[in-house]
Amino acid sequence: MKLRLLTPYLASRGWLYTASLLLIAAGNIIQSYYPHILGEFIDRLKNDDIAMPDIRMYALMLVAIAVCYGSMAGLGQYLIMRLGRGFERLMRKRLFRHFTRLSESYYAKHGVGQMLSYVMNDVTSVREAISVCLNQTANAVILLLSAFVMMAASGLPWGLIVPCVSPLLLIPFLVVYFGPRIRKRSRIVQNALARMTESAEEQFGGMRVTQKFAAEDVMAERFGGTVDRIRESQLGLVRMSSFFQALLPFLGALSLVVTIAYGGYQALSGAITIGMFVSLTLYVRLMINPLQQIGNVINTMQRSRASLERLQELLSIIPDISDAEQSVPLSGSGIELRGLSFNYPGSPMEALHDIQLSVKPGMTAGIIGRTGSGKTTIAKLLLRIYEAPPRTIRIGETDIRELGLGSLRENIAYVPQDGFLFSTTMRDNIAFSRRNAEQREVEDASRQAGIYESIQQFSEGFQTRLGERGVTLSGGQRQRTSLARGLIKDAPILILDDSVSAVDAVTETAIIRNIQQLRQNKTTLIIAHRISALKHADVIFVMDEGRIVQQGTHESLLAEKGIYAELFALQQGGTSHGQIG
Amino acid sequence: MAKSAEHAEAAKQQQNPARSKEARKGIMIYAKPYRKAFAGVFFCTLIAVFADLLQPYLVKIVIDDHLMKGRTEFRPLLLIGVLYLLLSILALLFSYLQNNLIQRTGQGIVASLRKDLFRHISRLSPSLFDRTSSGSLVTHVSSDTETVSQFFTQVLMSLMRDGMTLLLIIVLMFQLDPVLASYSMVLLPVIGIIAFSFRSYMRKTYQLSRSRLSRLIAFTAENLSGMNLVQAFHQEKEQERQFAEKNETYFEANLREIRTNVLFNRSFDLLGNLSVAFIAWLGGRAVLGESLEFGILYAFITYIRQFFQPINAITQQWNTLQSASVSMDRIWGLLSTKPDLPDEGKASFPVLNGGGSPKVSGAIDFRNVTFGYGDGEPVIKALSLSIRPGERIGIVGTTGAGKSSLISLLCRFYDVRKGSVRIDGIDVRELPLATLSRTVGLVQQEPYLFSGSIIDNIRLFDTRFSREQAMEACRFVGADALIRRLPDGYDTMLSEKGSGLSTGERQLLSFARIVLYQPAILVLDEATANLDSSTEQLVQRALDAVAAGRTTLVIAHRISTVMDADRIIVMRSGIIAEQGSHEELVRQRGYYEQLFRHSQGRPEERGAG
Repeated sequence: MKLRLLTPYLASRGWLYTASLLLIAAGNIIQSYYPHILGEFIDRLKNDDIAMPDIRMYALMLVAIAVCYGSMAGLGQYLIMRLGRGFERLMRKRLFRHFTRLSESYYAKHGVGQMLSYVMNDVTSVREAISVCLNQTANAVILLLSAFVMMAASGLPWGLIVPCVSPLLLIPFLVVYFGPRIRKRSRIVQNALARMTESAEEQFGGMRVTQKFAAEDVMAERFGGTVDRIRESQLGLVRMSSFFQALLPFLGALSLVVTIAYGGYQALSGAITIGMFVSLTLYVRLMINPLQQIGNVINTMQRSRASLERLQELLSIIPDISDAEQSVPLSGSGIELRGLSFNYPGSPMEALHDIQLSVKPGMTAGIIGRTGSGKTTIAKLLLRIYEAPPRTIRIGETDIRELGLGSLRENIAYVPQDGFLFSTTMRDNIAFSRRNAEQREVEDASRQAGIYESIQQFSEGFQTRLGERGVTLSGGQRQRTSLARGLIKDAPILILDDSVSAVDAVTETAIIRNIQQLRQNKTTLIIAHRISALKHADVIFVMDEGRIVQQGTHESLLAEKGIYAELFALQQGGTSHGQIG
Repeated sequence: MAKSAEHAEAAKQQQNPARSKEARKGIMIYAKPYRKAFAGVFFCTLIAVFADLLQPYLVKIVIDDHLMKGRTEFRPLLLIGVLYLLLSILALLFSYLQNNLIQRTGQGIVASLRKDLFRHISRLSPSLFDRTSSGSLVTHVSSDTETVSQFFTQVLMSLMRDGMTLLLIIVLMFQLDPVLASYSMVLLPVIGIIAFSFRSYMRKTYQLSRSRLSRLIAFTAENLSGMNLVQAFHQEKEQERQFAEKNETYFEANLREIRTNVLFNRSFDLLGNLSVAFIAWLGGRAVLGESLEFGILYAFITYIRQFFQPINAITQQWNTLQSASVSMDRIWGLLSTKPDLPDEGKASFPVLNGGGSPKVSGAIDFRNVTFGYGDGEPVIKALSLSIRPGERIGIVGTTGAGKSSLISLLCRFYDVRKGSVRIDGIDVRELPLATLSRTVGLVQQEPYLFSGSIIDNIRLFDTRFSREQAMEACRFVGADALIRRLPDGYDTMLSEKGSGLSTGERQLLSFARIVLYQPAILVLDEATANLDSSTEQLVQRALDAVAAGRTTLVIAHRISTVMDADRIIVMRSGIIAEQGSHEELVRQRGYYEQLFRHSQGRPEERGAG
């Protein structure tokens, strides 16, 4: 079932659209009187049946036509272009909203560049169809029609008009022939461009490596290959499209040749007047442009149709995670995982297998294990970034799938490992979930996360901007800022996902102590691969290859023989002195 | 706040004219090799335009010499028809040729511009990559160059074709009737005035909508990358609101742009039609007064209407010209950025023990080094450190202590302010960068893999290394078994982020790379920080294999990573606070001992001394 995007928009602004089309139509009809009046003027001039005042009258009529046409067509054009921009605005808004609803399983499959191209290219291409194409089509069709009508009205016999115009009638066929072929070649060009952009992105990202290995020449050659491919495909496109574009005026000229020979013959034999001959040549000339425009329009339309289809496809994706029909707000903060097994979409491997895990309200739990053991997967399932199978996760009293997404996420503060920050101020980053937080609260959170001192050292303190036009934070600073962002939320449940891995030992100790204090009697889940970050937890789960292999307190786990004790030995001693193979 | 930022940005885009001129000159150098092609285009255009413009003249002959004179032979009329046909075939042929030629030229220019740009960027000092996001560099290489190509294929083409058409029309008009033609010339200043009065306003509108668009795109891109956070913090509504705000301001800028453009184009249109009326009035009087032939008036009216086509076409190129000149400025700005660290006096490079890196002994000397970023506070203060060939050095310290800066100086990502850094007694500033790069191998926290096969990633696409050598390197670091498990073994294609491989596995591949390139000095900058303990164990063993017999510097914030080094350097606020072996330092009961206790999870114990 296709989602309709364009028709509802145009329908909702039907009156505006009609008005602008009418304005353009009226303008063009008036404009088509121009050759007629000129022809009449010339006839009377030739027959000497004209006086000075008549000449002035003709001139004034031409002026009036010019002014009417200019203002009406101008206004119509403005309205129609505004309409197109309005569509663009609406579409972008819908796209962005849609992006916020799509879950990570979509993001994992589609790159940011690909999604951006919807916002940048596809929307623009559809907008062009609305404003430029419709505008030009309206223009062209009306101009053509009125030219025909005027030709017939000025007494030109159809027997003359038809042969004169016939070469022009080939234009639509040419367009249909060349259009798809040109489109195919232009797609090749687009692909080549995209490949070069990708290659540039990748190579600039790895420039340090390239420079460090002095491999610049090899890399430049690789990049050069993508550049050359663009040139070749561009030239292929040009060979086709420039032939097409030159062919159209040629057909116009062919029409004029017929007009001169046949129309001239008729004028010689007295079947038509010279004035009629003159206006015939003018009409034929008048028709060349709109016909050419129609050709261009059809090509643009084809491109736009592809874009529109892409947009429709994207917007009709139903987010795979959304509120159940009767969603319940979250109450309670206990976490209960029952027989949870989970595969990532499209993966045959189980990421989690039969997990039994229970965290009582107010408790601090730790999850430890090596990379890829499934720790982060649990965090993602708890946030419903991915959907767990029914009846495997309960939070408070309720199955997680019945909870409202909003309520769930408002009640969980999540601090991921990568510490992604937005390019706004430090303050805005920390107060991300509570935009109206007081300065004091922001400062408190940053103190607890051990980033306060660093922020104070920036010249603009909390107003310091991050990102391209601001400061760059080190990995540890980013992590601590991201931690402050999680802490200020003061949510019933806190999930720390390896949140202090890039922080040095001294700072880590202080931060962990702060968290311990802050989260007294509040449910806290600490995921880490360092024992130092979670040994204070009330209960620690040890994960390995998607299973929970041990659980207990720090002391009880140390007493057991198993992964935990091995890890502890490793992390206490120098790694290269470790005993484990 | 946002407004003022916008103005600042707009002001930045108001290009400095002198610089713009320089930029244009610089880019034009790329057009030089194509002089012949441009001449060819000019020639083709001339013929095509001529063939096109002679057509109304032919109709004039039909009217004046045949129809008006009441002649009745059909033959000359047919002849003129044939002539007309020939002319239009000529126009077809040459406009096709001209189009192909200009595209070939434009694409050639852009291709070499892109390649040069890439080469140039790859020579710039790493500090650039700290300051500039790779996204904006990509924009320079892809869209800015594309706009420049449009300058050649559209703007220049239009200037050539339409300018010539205009000129020829004027010539033909004077040919037909000098008096009427000189009256028409009144149009030129009028057109000039209109164009001039719109010019600066149009540029401002254009730049406003451009900068708003780029802000909208940047915002979207960032939110897309951070969408999981937006969702996890349930901030969709708020981000949507901010997006809508930016969307709205962009829409407003668009409307302003449309208004200006429509007004501008319409005034030309109007002017065109008015001038026909004017000519009809003037010419009509002249015909009536018998001073003008009727056919001439016809041709004149046709020409005056055609007169406005090229002018319209040229003004249509206005926006392209605008963006092309902005792009040229940006490209030129990048191309004229000199690497901060130029290779000095290429002829007189000292040779590091015969050049082959294995022969470099690998002694490192930091002599009284002071360094700071930009004009900021020094982050390294009068530091001296001398490292013996083959020694294994661990460097610890809290964030901001200057560990990474020290390495940046050794790799010459930056230059020292005072003092010198020497390898085997030679100042790194005197070594060619390529030699230095291959002498000092660096492994960082984030292994970077390119899209391509594993083999090519190990040898960095350099086919001077054989497949066998690359595989040998993988066996050496113990990555062989892992690679063989992959679906296509050594030919498995990796994507940019090394999909399908864990961080540890990717790090192993980057070690294999180092082994293949055989640097005399190995630097590990938090190379194992992102790995869990067991993976670190695996990687560490590979590391030991690589480090054997090499001068090795290991930076880490985890004591456990460095504790078995020959010597541990403890850095604190830009100076060396302590140094010695692990046991010595623990015995000293200083800062190191404190760090060690924290890492052992025993911060409370106080030392007795």
